[in-house]
Amino acid sequence: MTATPAAASPPAATRNVKPLQIEDISVRFGGILALDSVSFTVAPGTIHALIGPNGAGKSTCFNAITRIYPLASGRILLGDNDLASVPGHRIASLGVGRAFQNLALVDSATVIDNVMLGRYSLTKGGFLSYAVRAPWTMKSERRHADRAAEICDFLGVGQHLHRPAGMLSYGDQKRVDIARALAVEPTILLLDEPAAGMNASETAEMSELIRDIRDELGISILLVEHDMGLVMGIADRVTVLDFGRRLADDVPAAVQKDPEVIRAYLGSDDDERQETP
Amino acid sequence: MSETVAAPITARPAGARKTLLLKTIGALALGVVVFLLPLYLSSQYLLVLMWVFTGAVGAMGLTMLIGQAGQLSLAHSFFVLVGGVSYAVYASPGDKDTIGFGLPTLLALVLAVVTTGLVGALFAPISGRLRGIYLGVASLSLVFLGFWLANQLPSIAGSASSGRYAPSLKLPGFDFGEQNPSLYVLNVEIGSAERSFWLFAALTALAYVAGRGALSGRVGRGWRAVRDNEAMATVMGVSVVRQKATAFAVSSAYAGLAGVMVVWWYSGLMKPDEAVDFGTYGTTVAISYLAMCVIGGLGSLGGSILGAAIVFGLPQLLPLLNGSTSAGSLSGTAFTPVVITNLIFGALIVLIIMFEPRGFAGLGQRIVRLVRR
Ligand SMILES: Nc1ncnc2c1ncn2[C@@H]1O[C@H](COP(=O)(O)OP(=O)(O)OP(=O)(O)O)[C@@H](O)[C@H]1O
Ligand SMILES: [Mg+2]
Repeated sequence: MTATPAAASPPAATRNVKPLQIEDISVRFGGILALDSVSFTVAPGTIHALIGPNGAGKSTCFNAITRIYPLASGRILLGDNDLASVPGHRIASLGVGRAFQNLALVDSATVIDNVMLGRYSLTKGGFLSYAVRAPWTMKSERRHADRAAEICDFLGVGQHLHRPAGMLSYGDQKRVDIARALAVEPTILLLDEPAAGMNASETAEMSELIRDIRDELGISILLVEHDMGLVMGIADRVTVLDFGRRLADDVPAAVQKDPEVIRAYLGSDDDERQETP
Repeated sequence: MSETVAAPITARPAGARKTLLLKTIGALALGVVVFLLPLYLSSQYLLVLMWVFTGAVGAMGLTMLIGQAGQLSLAHSFFVLVGGVSYAVYASPGDKDTIGFGLPTLLALVLAVVTTGLVGALFAPISGRLRGIYLGVASLSLVFLGFWLANQLPSIAGSASSGRYAPSLKLPGFDFGEQNPSLYVLNVEIGSAERSFWLFAALTALAYVAGRGALSGRVGRGWRAVRDNEAMATVMGVSVVRQKATAFAVSSAYAGLAGVMVVWWYSGLMKPDEAVDFGTYGTTVAISYLAMCVIGGLGSLGGSILGAAIVFGLPQLLPLLNGSTSAGSLSGTAFTPVVITNLIFGALIVLIIMFEPRGFAGLGQRIVRLVRR
């Protein structure tokens, strides 16, 4: 990262980073329990990894936090705010930023346009004020575009601002996705497999970047990632899911030694696993 | 938020100022050409261009809805009707057969556009629940509803046989329907044809500029997010339901403006169709608007002007080019101008969907890229 993180970050103190408490949440799809009474807490300013074999319910957990899937039971609290008590599109303004597992950029739009989408709930103005280009609207638009560009620099995609996002390499698109999540000015950032499909050196860069985000911005990061090297290297705490249940929740060193976790990971190729729900 | 005043505006690279200058010069040149056109073209051709402008305004609304917000609508001709009827009701004084408020025409114009937008917003509970072709079909039913209502309520929409009249636009000191003009430009008398042409061109430019502003800003970003991925849009703070409704309302408002232009184009006559599949506000027109958007490239405002030139302009232009003397020889065959243009734009749509789904807008971008290389 050669960018200027110092300029890109408002002082960490201005962000009131609060703990994210996942309390006994369950998510159900018809017959299957994708999440079964899962609890954990993301402490402020930490990198908290959420790991588990394919289909363990990690993305489902993200979707529950961002209100895409309804909770069958349980609560999700960000500080004092119950995330279930606000409509889905208000989550961003409560300080939750999310990057997606499958790239969810607007391919035809430019990089800066994509990242500016993250500023949506921080800005105002409807059709008319943009149609007539009201001076105050344009002024705020420029101000926010500057900030979005700063964030892109921070993520190392500042040289692509005016290219269609769909034309960027996979790795750069992942970075744009993260830039957009950061543009929300979150206090908690949800990263779903940021290093998926990346080679060793790109993965190392990504891990550096995630650490930078925590240290420069002082925000919490909930990280889903299959690359164990990355996870164990940067996570402050790890929660392990398997078949929707919480297997372990501890510091990385302890989790790595947990026999149940080892069994879940080693057994993930067994045929019998595929059958039992 | 920390802000460094002296920091370069990174979101706007150094080249932006130059392109802005070029664009301004281009727009000015275009403005001069459009201003001078009525001095050199006969009123027949002016009428063709005005019809193109009318189609363009409507198509801009539809292309934003379909191409930017991702909602299919086949109800556009219905909203054109709503716009025309609203204007007639607001602007004309009314008599024993028709209801009218006799408001100042500029106010009536604004109110007609707003009214149509609101009617579009009323459709939101349906447009928010349905997607793709289902929404298309559901919206098509509005065209039938409009046809039926207009024929049921002649005191509002005018009777289907003789219609009703609405005044032309009168601004303080400038009457766009002036019958005895005393204004001359380059020795050309500026009568109602010339004035209306300017008005139509100005309204089209206004619609374009307004649409560009909204699409390049927060609203457009919200729409594109909703179009591509509703879950992602929600996570980013966009209320999907609300933005879908907004898109429908804006699109309808554009159709409403087009509706007022239709009435002016017919010299103030607001007359409902006598059949639902043929006429000014029927299903054929709804499809025509869709064709303009597809030909121009879905989501492209500039493209919809081109689409309107082909779909609305050609059928009017061909008979003129053919000359009045040989008009009979053409109408004797099956190949009337309407049939010919239907064939042309039918073929265009097939070709575009097969080879360049981004329409003429996409073609334009390709050419620009080739030239830059
Ligand atoms: N929308 C849905 N409808 C039905 N079942 C679903 C849905 N989303 C997820 N599931 C199921 O929930 C379970 C957990 O899926 P999830 O996507 O959360 O896994 P994951 O831990 O993110 O896996 P991966 O590492 O492959 O991304 C799986 O069995 C999946 O099939
Ligand atoms: Mg997943």
